Amino acid sequence: MPTAVDALQPWPDTVQWRPVSPKLITVDLIGLAVWQVILVAGLVTGWLLAGGWGWLAGIAAVLLLGVWRATVAVRGVRAWGYAERDNDLMVRHGLLVKRLTIVPYARMQYVDVTAGPIERAFGLATVQLHTAAAASDARVPGLPPEEAARLRDRLTALGEDRAEGL
Amino acid sequence: MTTTQTPEQAQRQRLHPLSPLLHGAKTLFVIIAALSWQTLNRLGLVHFAFVVGAVAVGAVIFSAVGWWNTGYQLVARELRISDGLLFRRNRAIPLDRLQSVELRRPLLAQLTGLAELRLEVVGGNKAEAPLAYLTVREASALREQLLALSGRTAAAATPATADPAAGVPASTPLLAVRNRDLLISQLLTPQAFLLPVGVAFVITQFVMEGSWTFIGIASTVTAMAGVLLQPIRRVLRDWSFRLARDPGGRLMLHYGLTETRSQVVPLHRVQAVRITWPFLWRLNSWLYLQLDVAGYETPDRGNDTGSDRLLPVGDQHAARFLVGTVLPGVDLAALATSPPPARVRWLHPIGLRFMGVGLHQDVLVTRQGRLAREMTLVPYARLQSVRVVQGPLQRLLGVATVYADAAGARSGAARDRDVAEAWALAEELARRAREARRAAPDGQISPAAVPATTPVPSAAPVPPTALPPAAALPPTGALPPTGAFLPPAAGFPPPPVASPQPSVGQTGDDAFWQRPPQA
Repeated sequence: MPTAVDALQPWPDTVQWRPVSPKLITVDLIGLAVWQVILVAGLVTGWLLAGGWGWLAGIAAVLLLGVWRATVAVRGVRAWGYAERDNDLMVRHGLLVKRLTIVPYARMQYVDVTAGPIERAFGLATVQLHTAAAASDARVPGLPPEEAARLRDRLTALGEDRAEGL
Repeated sequence: MTTTQTPEQAQRQRLHPLSPLLHGAKTLFVIIAALSWQTLNRLGLVHFAFVVGAVAVGAVIFSAVGWWNTGYQLVARELRISDGLLFRRNRAIPLDRLQSVELRRPLLAQLTGLAELRLEVVGGNKAEAPLAYLTVREASALREQLLALSGRTAAAATPATADPAAGVPASTPLLAVRNRDLLISQLLTPQAFLLPVGVAFVITQFVMEGSWTFIGIASTVTAMAGVLLQPIRRVLRDWSFRLARDPGGRLMLHYGLTETRSQVVPLHRVQAVRITWPFLWRLNSWLYLQLDVAGYETPDRGNDTGSDRLLPVGDQHAARFLVGTVLPGVDLAALATSPPPARVRWLHPIGLRFMGVGLHQDVLVTRQGRLAREMTLVPYARLQSVRVVQGPLQRLLGVATVYADAAGARSGAARDRDVAEAWALAEELARRAREARRAAPDGQISPAAVPATTPVPSAAPVPPTALPPAAALPPTGALPPTGAFLPPAAGFPPPPVASPQPSVGQTGDDAFWQRPPQA
């Protein structure tokens, strides 16, 4: 996917990045919308009860922030990507702060597959890789269940293959 | 006291019967501290004593019930601990996950001949299961047993060498820190400099107001003590610091005055070593070393309860010797780093020349810090993951930060490298980590691999004569890169190929530590 995030695409010839499902955009937007509705509802009640321009300004700010975060969410999902290499899994994400994580299969402690209620409704799941280091953060959201299961099984198999202690 | 491998020691054992009393005393102390001087003032001495007495009795009864319900047992390769009064808890600790064992003896425990056994287990973010209290004899026997059981396949030979006949395994002393140095080093801290100011402030305050009540003074002193006595606490904690190596090649640390701690760390559990040169210590060119073992909680600034000391204070020779011991084959004086590109000056106006990264044969070296300079060594064999992070400002400058995460609390961070260089570095780190793992599949440095040639001075501290001159700085760029390493433009110092002969560069020690070589 030709994104303008050059810094997140190292080794373009050797690494084949896989995108996450675009449905994740919808999921993120719904999550965002829920918070927006709650916030706006609170502010509207405040305005009705107390009145004054401050409340209206607050609502406008929240809506503006929502629009901005929605654009970020859309582009953020496109920035997600993962690649399975021979020895390690690479995950990249982030727009403002770009992150790339390389986790060797041998260092994997366990794999989590989770799916929240909204994610489930759209048939998506999140795969998270845990290593012994708390700082490593290899999370791949927005995978279709079969891809999540495949990734999980592959990772587990590879992890067991090359398992070792610390 | 025998360290024979009885794989099943099935009966459940209790902690020492005095434990409830000690726990009670500890609780009491905490509660009295919470009650504060103000309460004493308001209640009067008699009532206060009465409250304290009631609390004491309650605490002891509570601890006694807890003691009754607490037990541990060793089943095959697991330590099972059950405790809890309302919520019964049974924990099984797989011993192959054991990282280090520490034997702590707080003041009261020292008086009664007891000790507390703390296990560091990977996965838990705090010390799992402190067994408090056991007799010292029981505790050290249990520790020996746990460590013997925790050793994996390759270390199976360890227990055999660890119990020559019976008794304490003979360990070789490596180093001892002089208490005088420790005292001076803690006087050279910001807090120690603030102490006179604080005292003067308090005295003038009382002189001005003329209110010389005992309670007033006492509470002010207590409040000040919390902040300003940190150096004193450090002195008490690190008093008579001794380091030794036991026959199994494990590191044994022993220190403390009011609370003695004795810690055993298998060398292959060391995840990272950090060297720090505090600003004020540069007068004496002193430094301290910290050890990172998986399972240590993230060290907070100012939180001194952790047991991550490898050397509380020492000079460069001691540090060099210890680093070479803990990470065999690593010579502290030969760890050159290259600074980030000059355009990063916008982000770090001052400290640029103290930042840097270097790839050496077995370790990644990163440096940072302006006033207190830090150097972090992460062995490739311990790398858990590699991360590249680029913030918005960094993107403007075309730089990125590479993190090398080990299982400990600290990561090596190569800050603000050129993007192309960052990628190359990440790839190179991943490759080296893979190779290092392949070379030692168990992630373990076998005792045989520990160089027997390491100078082990029997008298402490390490005499400088035992070491070659510490100013061996390999001429940067003089050595050819090993293999397809990095694009030459990236400007890394090539890794020193197979123990560079200490070329006698007459860079003074200080000069070396304060000035990374310009690549």
